[in-house]
Amino acid sequence: MKPLAGLRIADFTVHAAGPFCTHMLSQLGAEVIKVETALRPDIFRKSHAVYGRQGPATFDQVSSNKLSVRLNLKHPDGVALAKHLVSVADIAAESFRAGVMERLGLGYDALRAVKRDIVMVSVSSSGQSGPESHFAGYAPLFGAWGGIGYLSGHADGPPMEMRHVMDHSVGMNAALATIAALHHRRRTGEGSHVDVAAREVASSLVGDALTAASAGIAVERMGNADPRRAPHGLYPTQAPDRWLSIAVASDAAWQRLAAIIGRPELVSDPRFITADKRHANCADLDALLTRWTSARDGEETARQLQSAGIAAHMSWAASDIVTDPHMRARGSIVDVAETNGVMRAAVGRVARFSVDDSPGITRGTPELGGDEAYVYGDLLGLSQSRIDALVADRAIY
Amino acid sequence: MTVKPLAGLRVVERAAGVAAAQAGRLLRQMGADVIMAEPPGGTSLRQEPPLLPGGTSALFTYLSVGKCSVICDPDDGFRKDIDALLATANILIDDTPVADRAALGLDPDRIAAAHPHLVHLSVLPFGAFGPKADWAGEELTLVHAGGEGFLLPNGLSADLFPDRPPLKIAGHFAQLQGGTTAAMAAIAALWSGKGQFVDASVQDANVAVGAFAIQRFGDGSIEHRLTRSFKFGGVIKCADGYVELLTLESRQWQGLVDLLGADDWAADRELADEVGRSARGAEINQRIRSWARGWKVEDLVRAAQDRGVPMARYNTPAQVLEGAQERARGIFQAVEADGGPVKVQSLPFRFGPEALSVDGAVPAPGDQQALLDAEDAKRETA
Repeated sequence: MKPLAGLRIADFTVHAAGPFCTHMLSQLGAEVIKVETALRPDIFRKSHAVYGRQGPATFDQVSSNKLSVRLNLKHPDGVALAKHLVSVADIAAESFRAGVMERLGLGYDALRAVKRDIVMVSVSSSGQSGPESHFAGYAPLFGAWGGIGYLSGHADGPPMEMRHVMDHSVGMNAALATIAALHHRRRTGEGSHVDVAAREVASSLVGDALTAASAGIAVERMGNADPRRAPHGLYPTQAPDRWLSIAVASDAAWQRLAAIIGRPELVSDPRFITADKRHANCADLDALLTRWTSARDGEETARQLQSAGIAAHMSWAASDIVTDPHMRARGSIVDVAETNGVMRAAVGRVARFSVDDSPGITRGTPELGGDEAYVYGDLLGLSQSRIDALVADRAIY
Repeated sequence: MTVKPLAGLRVVERAAGVAAAQAGRLLRQMGADVIMAEPPGGTSLRQEPPLLPGGTSALFTYLSVGKCSVICDPDDGFRKDIDALLATANILIDDTPVADRAALGLDPDRIAAAHPHLVHLSVLPFGAFGPKADWAGEELTLVHAGGEGFLLPNGLSADLFPDRPPLKIAGHFAQLQGGTTAAMAAIAALWSGKGQFVDASVQDANVAVGAFAIQRFGDGSIEHRLTRSFKFGGVIKCADGYVELLTLESRQWQGLVDLLGADDWAADRELADEVGRSARGAEINQRIRSWARGWKVEDLVRAAQDRGVPMARYNTPAQVLEGAQERARGIFQAVEADGGPVKVQSLPFRFGPEALSVDGAVPAPGDQQALLDAEDAKRETA
């Protein structure tokens, strides 16, 4: 049995960060009921032409496993039905701008009134409080606000834009916080309102740099460099645009690397004799390594370096990841059947549990409203005539 | 919630790397007691730069504030010490390489037999199972093993330096993801009530947060840093800094047109929908970049947000630390370090109106060695 089996989530989240939170909880065994409306489907269920192509963006991965119901939250009966759903749930998750759930009549107090110990999870760009809590935001903005965008990039270039990993980092933190709130509920009988701020997740990812800055230490963009390690970088291989990452963290690793590249004399070269000197002369090291890697097969070289305990890995595209025997063996990449029968690769469970080794994903993207018979009928006990009336009145829509 | 959510839990942490220490940090900041079982001299994380004025690592400070430390010497009574600590613990976090575990008594089978109640969380670069379980990982190599490294940078950086190799994210992004995911998995396992071995991998965590690239592959395309840029918007240079601009919805585009004062050229019917705008993204971006150079960041962001146009300043560390939003939410809290007070961010989520407090000090090696002696004494009495 998966660790979160038996828990149920009323999922009002949209876009990427919030849905990734409930997606993680779903992979861990929770039953997730995704609430949408045909009036305004999740923007990520729709085409997303900002990338210059038509087709859904991130929807399929984060919707896998979930059940789908239509629910019009602008209809009073829709709101009542939402509360009914929450009353049989352990968790209510949402990712609207701060204040929207209250305006819909579905704020924390309203939900607590129907389920005393509900754990409500609110994911927003800037948190539920503060002068900028109303700001609109997406992943690249979270990174900009939080300082990780400023600190990333070439030393002689502009800040670097963060992408979906930023959204999903927020969702991962939200999932962690949600499970913690469940532990609190189990111990005290109390629910709670979990407030996850995306920009705070972004800054937490450079928390050490912010601590240093608070003490007056200058921290700036440094590209692929490391404050201590050298050689440390991306090196070309014989294939065009295929790069090998190498990071040497100790004297012992450096000595082994020098032997592997056939230059054992470099170990006693005054330029490279200590870690500090290697770091100061990293441009010379990079030139040496570039000459060595340029004519070599990247994967084979990574294996050779790893066999000597040196951290090295090819810069992998998605095509490399989905075919990797290691990822497949771990169940980290799985094939999922979509409702149209098409198989696609997906990210499976994010950790392996000795008690339950079953796949994290068992079904693909739900059709909009595809699970209403189970949710409204079996779970909430509505008669078919009542469901039909709510559909006719566009409360279920 | 007045009590932290994981109050009452006890965690033993053996962390040589950022990921395992991050898992411990998250559990500590949510209220668990976290005991670092360090080797003589302390974990190598204590030496990671940047160093604070008193010589303490800023990274170690961030990861370890509020934890306590005992020294467990691998060459002297290690197994007895670890067993004493684990007898009263809920979770063991360990990043010892797989090949070294059995000799230390840290292999999953022995731990499960001796401590069946325990959630034994393994945190390794590539996990404890699979053909690469013994591979070494550093931040740079892990961000590339997870796929995101290949996809960076986009937009302005990629336009300026198209021939340079891919670029990592600042700091310890990949390992922090690994630690966060591992912590989530551990408390999920704990929720189930069953002691067990949990195998977390930094690579897996990064592939998960980079899931969109995997989905795109399933849809038939391979993402690349030079082609996945937003067609317009992104990093925009202003007179005194940079902003990020992203419009995904039509009403946001209309707000941008108003902001740009572009009723003339934006009235072109080809720009009426998202597909048309994407097709002419380079032209639009040229206009935006040229126009923005005359603006000061603060004025531009205010004008944009007033129109519902998603835009943010690229904050420097100082601007983050002193940000109005961050101050109002109280997320940076004073911690006494050996060179004077510093600020440490609390967790990026809270369980009520107030930020979680950042309690305690930065532990000296073995600052709670008496704890181990007390556990030993208890066992001897029993």
